[in-house]
Amino acid sequence: MSLDFSVLLRFQEALALGLWTTVKLTLICIVLGCSLGFLVGLARTAPNAIVRGIASVYVEFFRGTPVLIQLFWIFFCLPLILGIELSNLASGVIALTLYMGAITSETFRASLKSVGREQMDACIALGLPRRVQVMNVILPLAVLRAVPTLLSNCVSLFKESALVSAVGMADLMFVGQNISNNTARPVEVLTVVALIYFAIAFPLTRAVTLVEGRILKKLAI
Amino acid sequence: MNYTFDFNAVSLGPLIEGLVVTVQLTIAANLIGVILGFPLALLLMSRLAVIRWPATLFVEFFRCTPAIVQIVWFFYCVPMLFNVFLGSVTMGILALGLNLMAFNAEAYRAAIQAVPREQIDAGIALGLNPLQRVFHIVLPSALRASVPVLLTNGIVIFQQSALVAIVAVQDLMYQAKTLATETYRPIETFTIAALIYFAVSFPVSQVVGWLERRRQILTS
Repeated sequence: MSLDFSVLLRFQEALALGLWTTVKLTLICIVLGCSLGFLVGLARTAPNAIVRGIASVYVEFFRGTPVLIQLFWIFFCLPLILGIELSNLASGVIALTLYMGAITSETFRASLKSVGREQMDACIALGLPRRVQVMNVILPLAVLRAVPTLLSNCVSLFKESALVSAVGMADLMFVGQNISNNTARPVEVLTVVALIYFAIAFPLTRAVTLVEGRILKKLAI
Repeated sequence: MNYTFDFNAVSLGPLIEGLVVTVQLTIAANLIGVILGFPLALLLMSRLAVIRWPATLFVEFFRCTPAIVQIVWFFYCVPMLFNVFLGSVTMGILALGLNLMAFNAEAYRAAIQAVPREQIDAGIALGLNPLQRVFHIVLPSALRASVPVLLTNGIVIFQQSALVAIVAVQDLMYQAKTLATETYRPIETFTIAALIYFAVSFPVSQVVGWLERRRQILTS
């Protein structure tokens, strides 16, 4: 079969628009998801068993089920339960934020745990008040340690965002599938779509490795 | 809300049938991933750039593109490009298996590189030849170290397998979608389907957690 990539030139704008939707959705959910994840991460170490329980169930459930089914649930069931109409974007944001919150909470929890016992002991030895201990010692260390994993969580989110195409949101994948159906040229169109995702995710993963190296060096000193 | 739940409207039969397909996909993809991931990891660490580069490209491509794009690409493009027409379940297994192979290769590579230098030095001191060092020192500890990650990747593939529903493989997700439309009971159907997925992946993830904790205790 002959390949003809020039077909795609006609659809540059549509693809750009799709990519913009993907990027927008990813960025919104990174901000909301990380904030949620931090709170849930704290909640999972809370002294109160009920708070801890609720946080654990949330995290385990979202990590234990396919993102696709979470999306379907939020797109089709949440409006029925709440009795309100949700826009495509709103449902997409809710679904991916909840997903991102669950995975980043694990990242934050692990990094909070990894802050050495010595640091706490040093705080006590120095007689620092509890607030200073948390805000000026534990938090900066924990966030610093969490950064590399958080970045790879962001890359995962970027990739998972392609799932919203399955519920009809016009992201890059959705636009790509539409073009491929209309032009009957799936090979060219889908390959280019895959390459666009790759062109964004690959440099990000490299950046994660670089940042990780830097931070590890910094923590070692 | 004024929605009356009726969980009886959801017939479990099709969901179980779907689960069987999902489990088949998962097991077959894991066989491909666990077995072929290892040689791929060796290629990744090859000293020859000609071997290392294609292997790296393969792995990075699967790791840096969305799984749904890979699956849709596979289902549409492989028959057109290579003129092969396989059953949809076989296609699903191949797509998921290749994806898992890439992720497992990374896991193996990390585990092999994490074998402490001293152990290899000890091997040299004991007069083992390079092949013996690989088979008796590096491999056993690397394989053991990679088990938790392999299991995690295995569950991830179990969850990712839901994506094949988009290309009409009749797995659990597909059956749930069909049932939800037929019965007009999306809440009940999707909730039950989600619980089924959860019931399978949660125990496995607990086992992974236990293995990791045990390993930490053993190594510390």
